[in-house]
Amino acid sequence: MLATIRKPNKHKLHDWLMSYLFLLPALTFFLIFVVYPMLRGIYMSFFDYSITSFEFIGWENYVTLYHDETFHKSLINTIVLVAVAVPIVIGFSIFVAMAIYKKSEFIRSFCRGIFYLPAVTSVVSVTVVWGWIYHPNFGLLNYITNFFGMEPISWLGDPKTALMAITVILITTSVGQPIILYVASLGNIPASYIEAAQIDRASPGQIFRKIIWPLLMPTSLYVIVITTINSFQCFALIQLLTSGGPIHSTSTVMYGVYQQAFLLGNFGIASAMGVILAIIIGIISIIQFKYLGNDVEY
Amino acid sequence: MQGSKRRFILFIAIAFVVSMFLAACSEDAGEKEKDDSTKVPASSDAKSVEITWWNFPNFQALDGEVGKYEEGIIAAFQEKNPDIKVNLEMLTFEGGPEKLNVAIATNTAPDVIYDAPGRIIDWGKKDLLAPLNDMMPEEVMSDISPALLKLSMVGEEVFMYPFNTGPFMMAVNKTLFEEIGELDLLPLDRPDRTWTVEEYEKALNAVKEKAPDIIPSGFYAKSVAGDQGTRGYITNLGGSRFLNEDYSEVAINSAAGVKGLEWVVQASRDGLVAPGAASLEAGDHNDLFLQGKMAFAINYSAVLKSLFAPNKTEDFEDVLLPYPTPDGSDPKLEPFLGGLAVFNNEDDKKVEASKKLIDFIVNDPEWGEKNLIQTGGLSARNSVTGIYEGSEYDYSELARKFITDPPTTADGYAEIRTFWFPALQEAILETKTPKEALDEFAEKANATIEKAKSAK
Repeated sequence: MLATIRKPNKHKLHDWLMSYLFLLPALTFFLIFVVYPMLRGIYMSFFDYSITSFEFIGWENYVTLYHDETFHKSLINTIVLVAVAVPIVIGFSIFVAMAIYKKSEFIRSFCRGIFYLPAVTSVVSVTVVWGWIYHPNFGLLNYITNFFGMEPISWLGDPKTALMAITVILITTSVGQPIILYVASLGNIPASYIEAAQIDRASPGQIFRKIIWPLLMPTSLYVIVITTINSFQCFALIQLLTSGGPIHSTSTVMYGVYQQAFLLGNFGIASAMGVILAIIIGIISIIQFKYLGNDVEY
Repeated sequence: MQGSKRRFILFIAIAFVVSMFLAACSEDAGEKEKDDSTKVPASSDAKSVEITWWNFPNFQALDGEVGKYEEGIIAAFQEKNPDIKVNLEMLTFEGGPEKLNVAIATNTAPDVIYDAPGRIIDWGKKDLLAPLNDMMPEEVMSDISPALLKLSMVGEEVFMYPFNTGPFMMAVNKTLFEEIGELDLLPLDRPDRTWTVEEYEKALNAVKEKAPDIIPSGFYAKSVAGDQGTRGYITNLGGSRFLNEDYSEVAINSAAGVKGLEWVVQASRDGLVAPGAASLEAGDHNDLFLQGKMAFAINYSAVLKSLFAPNKTEDFEDVLLPYPTPDGSDPKLEPFLGGLAVFNNEDDKKVEASKKLIDFIVNDPEWGEKNLIQTGGLSARNSVTGIYEGSEYDYSELARKFITDPPTTADGYAEIRTFWFPALQEAILETKTPKEALDEFAEKANATIEKAKSAK
């Protein structure tokens, strides 16, 4: 009796060991290049870590950030950026995907190519082009608005318009992948469901809300989570176009991390900022999974 | 199922503990590595020493290839010093400062750096550099102006061997003034070219009226880059200092400093300054000038003139001018200063070899002058003059008498400058009055100076 119980256990242990051995190479890289830097970042956030000191100061970096007005402004800007960019990216992607998924192969590929182009183009090239579009003196946008009798606007130089100008660029660089995913997902929805609904005289709105949207939920969940994380981590556009200005109106938490670590050499405060950002992203992702991922099985 | 889940959790827990252990121990590991690395060359070959030289593009690129000129210096140096091997790494002005910060924080700083006092003196104050006093005998010290020496020292210790210099000032598109027939409005007939704010205004208004397609002047406040230009411009327009004499407090929020910034704000309203200054950086401002779209540039020097020459898209004569002052008195011009420093990487042999390299770059009979010319700058030594030909270099030599002590070596300056451009943005965008913006800047900057002084 005892032998019969032990045998499968030994087998299981063997399987268990083998599977983890296969996992080991990838896991080693993951531990060294992802887990270790992450934990090291948390560890560093409790230190006064500059180019000459490394001294334990407990929660002081977090207390400094709690009282730092620029950090508060960066946090608010980041949240505004995410709150505006993510719904527009989702809505626009679904709109474009719905418009093109039934079209001919050529039109579909053409549209996918157009919208995916900013995603594969170097962010530096993209910002150079947008820099010229928004240029206060010789920009394309001011040239166009001039036809409507508008005064030239310093799009990136006015606190009222700068963050929205950055958001527009972020949206254009973010819609490519969701469109491709949505087009693929829409193609996988069985036509019979929609035909059956049409026979039952369901309106297009009802078909979208009751059939298409629920069936797109696995894709939507992925797109929402990834777009949210990417928007939270928006950095290159800001660094290259506005350097966080004017008057900190486009400064984000990620830009603050860069500024503190690499420009001022305050690695401890930068790590604390990174930890706070990671916690916020983690909480929002959990909420998204909880409310959007109930029926989703990948 | 339950068992495998438990094993998985156990596995993750072990991985977490191991990673935490690694994280906590890595500091010691870093120290150990550093100790080992310094020991290896000594034991392998007692005579030879290998040093690393990190260089910004201070020398004009040879044949358009960055680092090629520096390789030539190294080859000549190694020929004379076969026991020293020099490894070169070129930095960019954009990413270099960040790379240096990270290298210092991770104990991988280079041995030799050719940079400006702003960073070098900050490192000197933090005991990261080897003093160079033994390289600077009395006759060398007395041949360098006190303002430049102040920029190279911390207390009695010399941390930067000053090499090339030149005053920062402004420039005008002379050809444009010839075309609109208003050359008389520029102070070019005066030997020292000094002029008043009123005369400057007249020149700007002449451009506005007679060449409406050209922007009269520029200003920029997007980032810290080129902040010596905005500092020099405002302090001279109002007749103020940026920091007080002993660098213990901000002085730009004085009545004179406020007047200077108010002038810029008013000139922006009057259409005498390029619109969108809050989102323009020094490079954008220079581009407007080099493209012939702007009459005056506020951040220029003999060095920049030669560096910018290939970027000119219009054929015009760019002429150096000092900043105007309220009463036409002598302006106070911040100097550009380049110099070399040695990081103290706790290896005397490397420090000695690094000093030899610096001495070769600056003082070698064959290479010293050649290197200076390659930078496009004037010599930091008063006795070395007349190495260039041309009126603008002559004027630059003459303008050395206007050189003042810049605030770049003040305690906490790296942080102070991050408050400067948001203050300018507030004033230009008129979200605050110039007085409010400068007072707020002074409050933050003074707190930083105090914090940096108490941390010493």
